[in-house]
Amino acid sequence: MFTENDKRCSLTELVGFIHDGDILAIGGGLSSREPMAALRALVRQGIKNLTLVGSAHGIDVDMLCGANVVAVSNESYVGFEQDFGMAPNYRRACESGQVQVLDSCCYTLVQQLRATISGIPFMPMRSIQGTSMMQLHPEYQIMKCPYSGEELILVPALQPDVTLIHAQYADQHGNLHIDGPLVADILFAKASKKVLVTVEKIVSHKELQNHGITLPFIYVTKLSEVSYGAHPTSCYPFYAYDRKHTAEYYRSATNAETFLTDYLLPYVFNCNQHSEYLDAVGGKQTMNLLAQWKAGKQQWQSLYE
Amino acid sequence: MNNLTDLSKCTLAEALIFQIAQTIEDGILAFHGFGSPLVQMALHFAKRTHAPNLILVAGATYGVNPTPDFLTPTSNDWAMDRGSECSLSIEELFDLAASGRMGRMFLSGLQIDRWGNMNVTQLGRDKLKLKLPGGGGGCNLSCDANRLTIWTAAHHIQASPKQKPRFRLVESCDFITNLGHRTVDNRLRQDLKLQGLGPDRLVTELGVFDFDESGHARLIKVYPDTDVDIIRSHTEFDFPVSDQLTVIELPDATMLKIMRNLDPMGVHRKEIRAQDKNRFFLLDSYDEW
Repeated sequence: MFTENDKRCSLTELVGFIHDGDILAIGGGLSSREPMAALRALVRQGIKNLTLVGSAHGIDVDMLCGANVVAVSNESYVGFEQDFGMAPNYRRACESGQVQVLDSCCYTLVQQLRATISGIPFMPMRSIQGTSMMQLHPEYQIMKCPYSGEELILVPALQPDVTLIHAQYADQHGNLHIDGPLVADILFAKASKKVLVTVEKIVSHKELQNHGITLPFIYVTKLSEVSYGAHPTSCYPFYAYDRKHTAEYYRSATNAETFLTDYLLPYVFNCNQHSEYLDAVGGKQTMNLLAQWKAGKQQWQSLYE
Repeated sequence: MNNLTDLSKCTLAEALIFQIAQTIEDGILAFHGFGSPLVQMALHFAKRTHAPNLILVAGATYGVNPTPDFLTPTSNDWAMDRGSECSLSIEELFDLAASGRMGRMFLSGLQIDRWGNMNVTQLGRDKLKLKLPGGGGGCNLSCDANRLTIWTAAHHIQASPKQKPRFRLVESCDFITNLGHRTVDNRLRQDLKLQGLGPDRLVTELGVFDFDESGHARLIKVYPDTDVDIIRSHTEFDFPVSDQLTVIELPDATMLKIMRNLDPMGVHRKEIRAQDKNRFFLLDSYDEW
């Protein structure tokens, strides 16, 4: 458990707690609250051979695959939904064998994390039986229930080395307030060896209590204040999803060469600081536009048109 | 850009939404997952018409009974859970299904077989040829949800000059992500004693199937512009046809207005292939006065 009074550190220091070969759980989901600034820093800092675990993801996992820092994918879904479609870098990495494909599914992941949280080596469940997931995961076992005689599936405890979360608010001790859908963040945090957090704003403990504490400090290892740290995914109420930037990302990801020249270089490798990235994506003007969702239905809707 | 002010005919997408909505019982808990705007539309439509007591859980946000002003092209967006009465957590939603309290789930696949098995994981059996996005929680929910509605707007074969035509409704799936009525090793679903009973409807842009007692897809409805022969030519497996084969029912003008208000940006039409964008069906009961 993490009792340090002041857990604040720089983004570079924060990401320094992630090591080559780690099992990494990324918080958020799809186009919402992905810790993108930390992931860009991770790529710049040359951390490699990660095993990714998660439920439903998009640009976060796709970017890491495109930067060739992933060895294994244990994700349940990686794509851009009906917005843009399949995840191009992820697909290429899986199909070339660069990334080992060990797809999971949401409830299986939940049960595996719960096993770790409860200090038990496995959890039983009914689903998955009869599907190809059983062949993909020879570690899953079938057990006859000693009480009912039914056949159940056992899935082993899963402990991420690191969970990376982007939250709206924290205090310096590491208590977090997360606004809106939590996805698997709390389960990840409680099951992980380390929890690294970027937040929009670090506030006093009193102010955080007013927002409400979603995750107690005991799970949180280190945190860093990174405003707009989820961009181009959303972090409401501060900013909506940047669909325009995501479209640019998607175009660049058509092949590995253009992804390097048109995306990784201008937005990741050539931006040593997060502030340089924010300038590259349009600075204040872009950020003010993404905050416009609050102005009304028309303004909100216009962000997607 | 479209005829969405014309209430004398409905689009293919609207006909699909109406068919999917017909499978939704009032008073159940149903979940629409993500990346499935036709299903999102069907649930919101059902809630506003024949199923007012539906417990509608929005995919990705887990908001319960939301009333969004518009559909967004990604599903984990605050715009999608506005007006929610309350929210569930990921573990709560899946626990409800595992304990038999999810009435219906909606699933699809790049491959769908005669037993309603679906593949959203990969093409290629021994060697991965095409990585699909993956099924999210679909694998779990295909086992746990009481009933499943399968849908696809891409039943029509994909012809390509170099390769043989690619079927959506296939003889067998390269990978079974979501379970239908037979297991990957050809056991009967009912022998597994799963919580859920499996798919009872398969809605495509060419026809509508139910599943017979053996768990096999059986054609029950055609569209005004399709017939059994057309559907056979686009289906890799053979299938029985119901004695009561009918033409699909279409929504009426009042229903169309409800649908069109739900999605002002037309996000749901992204599921419709280019070749089908101009498929319209005249509403026979339309009354101009």
